Amino acid sequence: MASLKRSLDSDSLAANISSKIYVRSTKSGKVQKIVREVYLRQDIPCSSRLCQTCPKSAPSDASGKLIPFVLSEAPAGTSSFPQGHYLVPDTNAFLTAMDLFEQDSAFYDVIVPQIVLEELRNRSLPLYNRLISLTKSEDKRFYVFFNEFRLETHVARQEGETVNDRNDRAVRKTVAWYAKHLAGTKAKKVPAVVMLSNDRDNLRKAKQEGIHAFSLAEYVKQLKDGEKLLDMIPDAEDRDDVKDKRPGDSLYPEYFSMSKMMTGVKNGLLHQGIFNVSPYNYLEGSIRVPAFPKALIILGRENINRSVDGDLVVVEVLPKDQWKEPSTQVIEEDAITKNENPDADDAEDVVSAKERKALQEEVKRTHSKTTEGHAQPTARVVGVIKRNWRQYVGHIDQSSVSQSAQQGRKQDTVFVIPMDKKIPKIRLRTRQVAELLGKRILVTIDAWDRSSRNPVGHFVRDLGELETKQAETEALLLEYDVQYRPFPKTVLDCLPKEGHDWRVPQDTNDPGWKDREDLRHLLICSIDPIGCQDIDDALHSRPLPNGNFEVGVHIADVSHFVKPNNAMDTEASIRATSVYLVDKRIDMLPMLLGTDLCSLKPYVERYAFSVIWELTPDANIVSAKFTKSVIKSREAFSYEQAQLRVDDDSQQDDLTKSIRTLMALSKKLKQKRLDAGALSLSSPEVKVQMESETSDPIDVKTKVLLDTMSLVEEFMLLANTSVAGRIYEAFPQTAILRRHGAPPKTNFDELANQLKVKKGLDLSVESSRALADSLDRCVDPKEPFFNTLIRIMATRCMMSAEYFCSGTQAYPEFRHYGLASEIYTHFTSPIRRYADLVAHRQLAAAIEYEPVHPSVRSRGKLEAVCKNINVRHRNAQLAGRASIAYYVGQALRGKATEEDGFVMKIFSNGFVVLVPRFGIESLIRLRDLAEVEPQAAFDAETYTLTTSGSRDVKVELFQKVRVKVTDQKDETTGKRGVKMELVKTY
Amino acid sequence: MPLDTSTYNLALLRVDGRRWNELRRINAQIRTQAAADGSSYLEMGHTKVMCVVTGPSEPGPRRGGVVGSAGGAGGGGGQSKDAEVVVNIVIAGFSSVDRKRRGRGDKRTLEMQSTVANALAASLHIHLFPHSQINVSLHVLSQDGSLLAALINAATLACVDAGIPMTDYVAACTAGSTSTYAANDESADPLLDMNHQEEQELPGLTVATMGDSDRVVALVCESRVQISRLEGMLVVGVDGCKQVREILDRVVREKGRRMIDEGTVEKGTGLNDMDVD
Repeated sequence: MASLKRSLDSDSLAANISSKIYVRSTKSGKVQKIVREVYLRQDIPCSSRLCQTCPKSAPSDASGKLIPFVLSEAPAGTSSFPQGHYLVPDTNAFLTAMDLFEQDSAFYDVIVPQIVLEELRNRSLPLYNRLISLTKSEDKRFYVFFNEFRLETHVARQEGETVNDRNDRAVRKTVAWYAKHLAGTKAKKVPAVVMLSNDRDNLRKAKQEGIHAFSLAEYVKQLKDGEKLLDMIPDAEDRDDVKDKRPGDSLYPEYFSMSKMMTGVKNGLLHQGIFNVSPYNYLEGSIRVPAFPKALIILGRENINRSVDGDLVVVEVLPKDQWKEPSTQVIEEDAITKNENPDADDAEDVVSAKERKALQEEVKRTHSKTTEGHAQPTARVVGVIKRNWRQYVGHIDQSSVSQSAQQGRKQDTVFVIPMDKKIPKIRLRTRQVAELLGKRILVTIDAWDRSSRNPVGHFVRDLGELETKQAETEALLLEYDVQYRPFPKTVLDCLPKEGHDWRVPQDTNDPGWKDREDLRHLLICSIDPIGCQDIDDALHSRPLPNGNFEVGVHIADVSHFVKPNNAMDTEASIRATSVYLVDKRIDMLPMLLGTDLCSLKPYVERYAFSVIWELTPDANIVSAKFTKSVIKSREAFSYEQAQLRVDDDSQQDDLTKSIRTLMALSKKLKQKRLDAGALSLSSPEVKVQMESETSDPIDVKTKVLLDTMSLVEEFMLLANTSVAGRIYEAFPQTAILRRHGAPPKTNFDELANQLKVKKGLDLSVESSRALADSLDRCVDPKEPFFNTLIRIMATRCMMSAEYFCSGTQAYPEFRHYGLASEIYTHFTSPIRRYADLVAHRQLAAAIEYEPVHPSVRSRGKLEAVCKNINVRHRNAQLAGRASIAYYVGQALRGKATEEDGFVMKIFSNGFVVLVPRFGIESLIRLRDLAEVEPQAAFDAETYTLTTSGSRDVKVELFQKVRVKVTDQKDETTGKRGVKMELVKTY
Repeated sequence: MPLDTSTYNLALLRVDGRRWNELRRINAQIRTQAAADGSSYLEMGHTKVMCVVTGPSEPGPRRGGVVGSAGGAGGGGGQSKDAEVVVNIVIAGFSSVDRKRRGRGDKRTLEMQSTVANALAASLHIHLFPHSQINVSLHVLSQDGSLLAALINAATLACVDAGIPMTDYVAACTAGSTSTYAANDESADPLLDMNHQEEQELPGLTVATMGDSDRVVALVCESRVQISRLEGMLVVGVDGCKQVREILDRVVREKGRRMIDEGTVEKGTGLNDMDVD
């Protein structure tokens, strides 16, 4: 009778097989025990160029390629290791100071043990991804050593040993092995192998075992520019000490445990949502939760409980007697906490007396009125599910700096005021206060303890002097998370080898011509803003024998050059959009493509993706055709040039005639769109005029609308709509579309009420058509701008349009509210928007020009793409606006002008004025009205603010006022901005 | 929790420390059940299966619903000219991480039964046993990827043990690719012998060949993969099958030698053609 013996014992290779056993819990709370095999081997190279033995056994991939050895033969030294050294950081080091490792000045030749990578992945995915990209960068020389798979460095967990201790031991063993291994290389200068850790216990054990080991701070001190780098290490240990010292001295209420929050949310007792801070009052936040139609209000520091704008938090609704109206008062952080001392944490209470006073007045006001119905539910934060902290741009608050710190190199605690007003002041410890004063700096938040009034952060990078063009532009790009670094080599490698000499092949049998229509004979032209280099679109029209017109929209064929999933495509999908600043353009695609090879420049042949319709003279579509093509644009017009040409009756050439045809058709198309209920919205848009030599801003102009602009717009809309229908038909589950949700009626409540009270006008919002009509009725015969003002305000009540993947929504939800179109996508600007590029690929697959690429039909992938481009798109818009605002400020520098403005918003202690001439809005506080702050009576029912005492004025909503506009450096944000003073009311 | 398959390119190491072209440890025994006509036990990594073969014998009353008939070779039950290969797979509830019961009519199990039956029928000389039935019972004790391949290998060994004449070993293994379908990485390496985690994350196929030849007797690909990558995967898979055949062959010879040593069989009786060195 044979017996089944345990096979492992009889195996001669038993020593090389191990297993990894761990327990994991699933989302549903089930606990699983996982057993995995681990094969131990001896051919994992050390990857040091000094080593002679490892290359012999180095592995190769299926095509026989070897991985090059990365660690330098002559690594940099420090004061303790003049012979050079390799670094082995532990998980803790990466968790606390990833910024440090990304420095250019130090931290080269780093060995990352596999166990550290694993631990990091479990602790923080973003940090893991940053580390992975470091290992891919050639010049940083990071090497992942798979210590768990190497026989000599594998360690088994001992009885009673915690996982962390075991992992630390594994790191130490790796260090020891490396030291021994390198010693055997017979190199002249054997580099030292140095472990970096912030874990005291680990360091102690390392010293016992005779391994070189330092804490991050100790190590950085040995480097040349150590002092600067020192600031980038968060003081984890120090903070622990503080905590130990005063355990009971907590300023904020404790967070609920995760399980308590989860059960609470499940039972509907607690609510989960994204925390948003009011732009006018830093002590008021709001949170939208699915359970309530209106946002919950979170008032006061204690209730906000350490949440920062953007965090995913859990809140508890407060009892009804604590419900309040949303604030009608402006509360700015700097005005109230101006004199706080960054060192003093033991301030009497979390809510300072001043803050309390500010809030008190709120409460008084609510109580004085008996309109209980107005009170909105309030809530308090009981826990944070996910922090949404990023890096923040800001500057050091001059007033928080002590005199001694300005001279010495002593470590000092200062406040950093972030550029984004919604972010609280960040406490920062630094030794370089003197150098950093007056500079734009980049900081991150590390933690926010219960015992600390403000979050604690560390310094990352210095961007340059405040108000220099370079620093401000970079600050802006960082603040809106725009990828602005030059394209890496891997991306540039994807460009055509011919460079600028690339031409459309002459031979029509060339593979590039496959399935392309030859449209070179058509009279095509492009119409764009002045100086436009990335020409996405071109148009043509010609009469057909049957009296109809053929109209073609030709879009740059970017998808011919950018193939799915190569490095360039990946980079473009991350950037998602080009960003236009006043003086700078951050491209989505490398210049060569964007401004040359793809750009539909005049007089040269270019590949294009064409949409060609047959339109009746009434602009009804008879048929639509999509095809890849080759075109030759006859002329690149600016809007102004085109307009002049159309208006000039002496021009009777075919090209001009075709533009006139297009113009006539576009007007009919527009009328149709408006009849269907498309909204014509408005935003205060201005253009900054720059001096051509120095590119200093000299003047601000409001944008003029020309018919030619609306011509191009109409045909782009038509192309987008046609394409949307076609790709949806081909890919009902995965078409990339753009929708604009109908705004909830409550969004318009306030505006409708304001109009009713102040002007006796009705705003109906049942449908986009009704809204469009009622907006048309909102006119003030005496004031032509009034209508625009209302449109601007209405625009702000809308939802933002978003990209989505068709499978994620039901068909009725596809609707584009603003354009009153059932289905819509973006197709016409593939050079500057990634969504268009995806639409191009889908359309190419739909017309069977090329096989369907998996990336354009994988729903999961497309959803991720949509999510990213939605965020990037928004950020790009914000960055563009911020850039204009900055330059408007610069253009006004040193000037003082009087302009007309309109009151847009009114508070009990101030009001917001919009000046259309500059497209800016600014807050005028009561205390700005006169030397002594006047008394004020605010009537919320009629939106009227009447002041008395030092100055008597009566300010009403929508009122036209005369203001004096000057520039002023904003203390809080360090931005040069405009300051308005009320001259008179009309 | 360990890393996932995306780290392969960092050092050309897979999640369990293997290279792209390495099999897992394969361990097998035959004649594990003395009472059965043929039996075997096989481990590929942590995938563990056992097999019992009964027959060729007179076809008994059909057991409802568990018959995986040998496709072309089958026909009208026990009345055909060829023997019928009936495969029955039982997957133990405790075999995977989550304890779960699979019913008898489980579609995946039925499909595996028919694949194993077809693969075996290609090698077994079923024409020698008309009107009879060969029952192959497979029991899955533990699962960690490449299950179908392990089942085919175990069934082959058990048939050898049962002394059923066959052309050659039917050896099977899996092959995959180091990057996902969506990544569409042209330079992805092929992978040999996938474990559970790799099967979850990466595209893969199971291939079985007839002995030393390149004759493919079973090929199952249930994941989406670019056609350009398929050839490389298949080459690696077929190569792996040859390695598996060597291992199976060694197991059989080892058992044979031991039986002679122990005197269970005399040298030369019935094994006279076999070179037992």
